[in-house]
Amino acid sequence: MAGRLEGKVAVVTGAAQGIGLAIATRYAAEGATVVLSDLDADRAQAAAAAIGPGATAVGCDVTDEGQVASLIAGVVEGHGGLDVAVANAGVAVVAPAVGQSLADWRKVIAVNLDGVFLTLTHAAGAMAASGGGSLVTIASVTAQAGSPLIASYAAAKAGAVNLTKTIAVEMRDHGVRANAICPGFIDTELVKPHKQTFADALGLQAMGIPDFDAFIAMKQGRYGTEEEVAALATFLASDRSGFCTAGEYNLDGGLRASLL
Amino acid sequence: MSDLELEGRRAHVTGAASGIGWAIAQRLAAGGARVAISDIDEAGAIARAAELGSGHLGVRANVRSMDEVTAALAATVDAFGGLDLLVNNAGIEIGVPVVETDEADFMRLMDINVTGVFRCTKAAAGALAEAAAAGSDAAIVNIASVAGVGGVPLLGAYCASKAAVIRFSEVCAIELREAGVRVNAVCPAFIDTPMVQRLAPAVAAMTGMEFGDVVAVKQGRYGTLEEVAEVVAFLGSSEAGWTTGSHYVLDGGLSGGLL
Repeated sequence: MAGRLEGKVAVVTGAAQGIGLAIATRYAAEGATVVLSDLDADRAQAAAAAIGPGATAVGCDVTDEGQVASLIAGVVEGHGGLDVAVANAGVAVVAPAVGQSLADWRKVIAVNLDGVFLTLTHAAGAMAASGGGSLVTIASVTAQAGSPLIASYAAAKAGAVNLTKTIAVEMRDHGVRANAICPGFIDTELVKPHKQTFADALGLQAMGIPDFDAFIAMKQGRYGTEEEVAALATFLASDRSGFCTAGEYNLDGGLRASLL
Repeated sequence: MSDLELEGRRAHVTGAASGIGWAIAQRLAAGGARVAISDIDEAGAIARAAELGSGHLGVRANVRSMDEVTAALAATVDAFGGLDLLVNNAGIEIGVPVVETDEADFMRLMDINVTGVFRCTKAAAGALAEAAAAGSDAAIVNIASVAGVGGVPLLGAYCASKAAVIRFSEVCAIELREAGVRVNAVCPAFIDTPMVQRLAPAVAAMTGMEFGDVVAVKQGRYGTLEEVAEVVAFLGSSEAGWTTGSHYVLDGGLSGGLL
């Protein structure tokens, strides 16, 4: 079976680990040429080497316009064009909004919103120049509801979803599609260290829920996997989703569907 | 085109003798699924199943009848030995202003578009849960519409029905999660179907724009039946194994833009 992304050139930001790495790995398996970008260039290099031929790595701080511009230009120059860009790089600060420092707020907004702005706009320009492409933003269901302890993260994700839709509408006539993926909780390095903090803040003990994992099982069945996000990112990158643009696609085991 | 994740899946698609339902049936069959085509047009359903080749089923089902729906689902389970995927596609539209809509017509539309989904879901849930217990990724995909996401003039009843389908899908997703059955909705915008062409003159009269221009400005172009079928195939496969309670819009940006 031919891969779903055969012949496509893709760039994935924050691809040295977690969801970004899973997406880069799946894209390569589907026949795409993949450029893994990450703040940690060495780790991205190692990840690309592990994926094998068809994958290369570039160090890039997505908050720096010069670096993003040169990342995109380098991909276009090195591979003859750009078909798919995944704005995935993200960070989180876990603390209540009230009392949080402006510096912490700005750090998260810089990566999760400014970084998405730079990635999407530079990639869209390159795609428009060569007939079109698909932009995929890794957002979060936290974009859609109040999210205790991760105010800056959720606000940035909400901004990123809206930005994705605006770019989709602006760039439709240039053949550029843009969609956002909103996963629920995945057991990534972003979540793992903070489970007890969430459990305490949500008062799980008082509700008779032993820990955050049990709470997740109640709300979304189980943790999602990075590979499941990669499957959706593959669909949205492929020509099979040709009429999907300005969309916001949840995968969350039913978390958002329930009010309770 | 064969997809590992659709190979051998046992599917039932309602209203599948024509239009989007037929495109979905073809897509699932092309991916290696066995497909039961149900339709109020029994001869059409049987002919379409034959067109797909051997191993498929054509069966009559008027989704307004609990008895007919129950029988059609039972026939599917009998023929295939179980059911992994139900696609609730059967539906109708009325394209007239709300104040001119006949009450009986409104109720008939609701009975088909909303209660029909309820009837099929109720009739299929047991078999889907059994499949899930045996290790299958059991799923329901409801064909809603972008008209369930935002208002479209002249489609009062249709919009209300599709919004209801989206919300109903959410509740089913939560209630059936522990049984291992995923439930999602798909929301296409204007596809170049006879249903849409029937609406075109009235929409043109109301907006003062040619309908084709409305489509070009708001969603770039018409979507295709095949594009809807691709999203259904994705949500109906294990590729979307953690997606439940969601509605996936494909609308060329129609609902994603403000203006």
